[in-house]
Amino acid sequence: MEQVDPREIQMLRMYLSEYGQQMEILSGQLNMIEQQRLESAAAVESIRALEQSEDRIVLLPIGGGAVVRAQVLDPGHVMVNIGADVIVERTGADAVEYLQDRITELEALGKQVSGSIEQLRGQVNEISRRLEAAYRQAQAAQAGQGGS
Amino acid sequence: MDNVPPKVQQQLAMLQQVQQQLQTVVSQKAQYELTVREARRAVDDLGEAPEDATVYMNVGSIMMQQNKDKVLASLNERIETLELRIRSLEKQEKALQGKFEQLSAQIKGALERKAPPSGS
Repeated sequence: MEQVDPREIQMLRMYLSEYGQQMEILSGQLNMIEQQRLESAAAVESIRALEQSEDRIVLLPIGGGAVVRAQVLDPGHVMVNIGADVIVERTGADAVEYLQDRITELEALGKQVSGSIEQLRGQVNEISRRLEAAYRQAQAAQAGQGGS
Repeated sequence: MDNVPPKVQQQLAMLQQVQQQLQTVVSQKAQYELTVREARRAVDDLGEAPEDATVYMNVGSIMMQQNKDKVLASLNERIETLELRIRSLEKQEKALQGKFEQLSAQIKGALERKAPPSGS
């Protein structure tokens, strides 16, 4: 029975751990993307609801689960964070369009990250399979040595 | 690890150190690249906004209304500064990568010389 090079096992374990870490990072990114997508969708819903509201009274969260009643002065205009600490005033319709574009982009990005995770999962499975085979070979070699 | 020569052990420690430095540089560079991308995107979005658009910018912990051109200038300045930092980090990354490869080759060579020929 051929001996297994311990360096190969070590290398495979190293790759497995590295790929596992990469998968964790990508899964975190995917969660973040999904969170942003849901927030943008909720914002679109809020803008539309505000435009249709008659009294424009909302409950404004002030933290700690507490809310105050507030009246939206101008539901036709929305401040949109465009990134890099810059906020631009847009009409409700423009803001909805901007947010919907952002949702589309986030969906595409999510698909891309999911694809990368799947690719990594394939590699992890392949390495696990090779590692298992190497362990089995090492055990068989050990048993062969013990029996001889 | 006991039968690894002290010189190789030292090289391995150095290799780990270089690897950590490399990881720090790479993650810092990625962070700056992300910030630049976001700033560029903001410049593009702002470019499409009307000249008299109401624009706010974070100043410390508050948001202040600013002139669109002033915000654009500030964003472009930020992009320029970050790009300079990215270029500097790229140089550091290249140097560390070279050092890493050199050390890896040295360690590999030393271990191969030490390892008994297989099959004997």
